[in-house]
Amino acid sequence: MPDPTPNDAKDLKPALVRLLRAAFPHPSFPDGPFERCADKILAELDEDLWHRLALEHGLDTLEQLDLDTEDDEAAEKLLREIEDAEFFVFVRSVAVTTLYDDHEVWELLGYEGASFDKGGYLETFNDLDWLPDPRIEEYDGPDRLVEVAEHDLPAGHTTNA
Amino acid sequence: MSDQRNQERFGAAIDHDEEAVVIIGSGAGGGTVAYELTRRGIPCVVLEAGAWLQPEDYENDEWAAFNQMAWLDNRTTSGTWRITKDFPNLPAWIVKAVGGSTTHWSGATPRFKEYEFKTRTYYGDLDGANLLDWPIDLAELAPYYDLAEQAIGSTHRHGRPALPANNNYKVFANGAERVGYKHYATGPYGTNAEPYDGRPASVQDGFNFQGDKSTAKWSTAVREVPRAVATGKCDLRAHSQAVQITHDKQGKVDGVLYLDKAGALHRQKARIVCVAGNSIESPRLLLMSASAQHPDGLANSSGQVGRNYMRHTTGSVYARFDEKVHMYRGETMAGIVADEARHDTSRGFAGGYYMETLSLGVPFMAAFVEPGSWGREFTELLDAYDRTAGMWVVGEDMPQETNRVTLNTGAKDQWGLPVPNVHFDDHPNDVAMREHGYQRADLLYEAVGAVGTHHTPPYPATHNLGTNRMSERPEDGVVDRWGQAHDVPGLFVSDGSQMTTGAAANPTLTIVALAIRQAEHIADEMGKGSL
Repeated sequence: MPDPTPNDAKDLKPALVRLLRAAFPHPSFPDGPFERCADKILAELDEDLWHRLALEHGLDTLEQLDLDTEDDEAAEKLLREIEDAEFFVFVRSVAVTTLYDDHEVWELLGYEGASFDKGGYLETFNDLDWLPDPRIEEYDGPDRLVEVAEHDLPAGHTTNA
Repeated sequence: MSDQRNQERFGAAIDHDEEAVVIIGSGAGGGTVAYELTRRGIPCVVLEAGAWLQPEDYENDEWAAFNQMAWLDNRTTSGTWRITKDFPNLPAWIVKAVGGSTTHWSGATPRFKEYEFKTRTYYGDLDGANLLDWPIDLAELAPYYDLAEQAIGSTHRHGRPALPANNNYKVFANGAERVGYKHYATGPYGTNAEPYDGRPASVQDGFNFQGDKSTAKWSTAVREVPRAVATGKCDLRAHSQAVQITHDKQGKVDGVLYLDKAGALHRQKARIVCVAGNSIESPRLLLMSASAQHPDGLANSSGQVGRNYMRHTTGSVYARFDEKVHMYRGETMAGIVADEARHDTSRGFAGGYYMETLSLGVPFMAAFVEPGSWGREFTELLDAYDRTAGMWVVGEDMPQETNRVTLNTGAKDQWGLPVPNVHFDDHPNDVAMREHGYQRADLLYEAVGAVGTHHTPPYPATHNLGTNRMSERPEDGVVDRWGQAHDVPGLFVSDGSQMTTGAAANPTLTIVALAIRQAEHIADEMGKGSL
């Protein structure tokens, strides 16, 4: 029986989820969005040998550093030191367009997305009530906008037409 | 999904051997010229690189829409601007589709001001700035601004009502009032507050950059292009990318080479060519059209083709509050403060800027609020998403000869053609203006209780201008007062690349006004037999 290849030997996902939680700490997020994000990153490795090598080795060595995701500040301090490491740059670049494209994340952050099929946001687009309703028409009072300050009029231009 | 997405030809077929007016691009400039000429009975071939997306095709989802509409052909960047680091292959955020970037625009329609047509006179000889007065002035363009506002349906103009205040505007306008600004309103804005021109009123559905499913927003894809096709004089060829403009022995334009969807090369004979591919593709096309008579690129005897690339001085400010805002609901940019849109060097810079409401959804907020950022300083911006208000600072940037579009022959696009490289360095005036805008935005939001603000750097540019500029003298620019090349009869530039300087205003209204005026001129000259 042949030796298993390194990527079969190890499930990268738990370590990757830990890394994602530490890099993008959101106290209100459950594991689901991070797990889906990890799946997307791992799927990309199938077509990218360099990132596979870099990520496997990176996560391996990260485990040795004992990334503690219970302590956000300590985890971030540790990650700042490896900010430019290839595998970590790769993880962040995929995560920033994946994690925040997750509809559960939208809900957690209070973003409702598309509204057209529901008739738009006509019911709620102006529901802010902690400030007075402002004017929507253009100003028609006495204070004309001075387009060019007096001191900036070119020689020969005496009026601000 | 509409079947039209894959269709390549629309309207009345024009023979490849017929010397038509050939219009390259169907956005604010090209779409407008096509309608204005065809409604006068002049046959036009419109070559559009993208598909004709219909309202039902648009995706109200930021990444899906971006991948559907954005011009994503390979491009490269150089210079000291931050884009080279964050988005090295995406200098501009513009559209490849029928309607061009009018499908993506938000809708703000301020006019240029009188002094902004005369910046060399008013700003003087600013070090490093290649300033030049336009060969036309506001008085000459004013009647065409009226026509453009009617075409677009700008709110607050010609008796049309204002859009209502959305939540983001409530924060913005109250802040403006409290810091003493007066010139704020929900427009002028190119989306219907009430039904107009056969299109409905806004349903405040919150997606503007992604195409408008309701068609309340004006674009040439919903107005000028379908009307041009309906005249029976327009042959619209979608999925058709122009790659070269040719001329005859006398130096007059005589044809356009273009690629169809399958990559096959075609030649359309031309009597007149109007280039309207936006300020990166338009100079690229002229540079790819170099000939023995025009060794440095077509219409480039001045050496100015591709130079003076402008992208507006921009920056965004996102302010966090204790209470809910939900900035993404409603019209994205229906909020304008004009008080800083003036020339007063006591502020430390020449020219002016507008403040305009702006919002991004969560996906784009994550990608653009602080590119490359991570950790708690990043996630706290996202955690405050529904308590955040946003604005865009958009002002005049300085034309510089070294900010330019060139052919990068070391990189090829999907067709094997050299990609455009966009080189850009901020001018010190740009930096001073941006910093002033950030500070004023902070004050505005702090006046209504912001608990924190974030200064977001410029996005890939939506306003791309100046790379085929208009000049009185042939040695100073590429085109004359009508947008016709100084040195190539029959060749016109019809997009924002003809702008001599960029002004503070969002450019679409001015592109449309210039295009209406240019089309009238072309029709007149053709009628007289002089074109």
